[in-house]
Amino acid sequence: MKKRNDDGGARAAAASAKKERAAKRNRSPFSAMHTGPGRALTAVYGVFALSATARAGYQVIREFDVAPVAYSLSVIAAVIYIVATICLVIGNRVSHRIAIGACLVEFVGVIIVGILSFTHPEDFAKPSVWSSFGSGYGYIPLILPLVGLWWLYLVGRRIRTN
Amino acid sequence: MFTVFTIVLYAVSAVLAIWSIIETIRNRPAGTLLLGATAVLLLLLIVQLVLSIATFGSTHGIDPLLYFGYVITAILVIALAGFWAFAELSRWGPGVLAAAGLTVIVMIERLDQIWQ
Repeated sequence: MKKRNDDGGARAAAASAKKERAAKRNRSPFSAMHTGPGRALTAVYGVFALSATARAGYQVIREFDVAPVAYSLSVIAAVIYIVATICLVIGNRVSHRIAIGACLVEFVGVIIVGILSFTHPEDFAKPSVWSSFGSGYGYIPLILPLVGLWWLYLVGRRIRTN
Repeated sequence: MFTVFTIVLYAVSAVLAIWSIIETIRNRPAGTLLLGATAVLLLLLIVQLVLSIATFGSTHGIDPLLYFGYVITAILVIALAGFWAFAELSRWGPGVLAAAGLTVIVMIERLDQIWQ
């Protein structure tokens, strides 16, 4: 809403990226984390936070005994998505750091859980978000942390060079 | 779920997703029409929620927590995506809507599976 007034018109915003960046610098430069492409990234993280929480909540309430390991991991995954989403939305120096940490944990988690779901299939009788490298979610859980880290790196670099 | 209404839900979310992707590629922010389409999808999902509540007694063996969890999550996703697309004045406003539209297509599919 604020930006809408600053830039005065939709087309102008797309055209004058430079001006927009200057306006942003007056706020925390790290707010760039959730603007432009970052907004799409934050939205995808938000969707995952919401759906992973809903699913993990359901699994824990209704059938935790069926696959306690897989469902505990679902809860951990949900918490990490929530942390990453909140950090992207806050957009300051500290949350930039935490978001990088969350993305790293997320990526390591997907890899480890992905491997475990093949080596110990008995513990993963029911799927979690991260089992089989996130194949139940179109492998988005595998790609998302990499995209996130790349974006956070770009934001960090832009701030350092300015 | 009602087959005709389910097809309408699929169609509207598919149109929203494809339209949003086109607007993202064209480098345009989300206009009034696109935000209007998002509002229509939101309204349809709320209608689906009401219909589901009204006809839930006729189903058997469906876990209400699972089913309504999906319906309410879908409504939240579209509502939040709409606000974000409104606030973002670059091509990534439609980008958010595209992500939300694709998510809702998958969620409608799950809803239909659960209902049967």
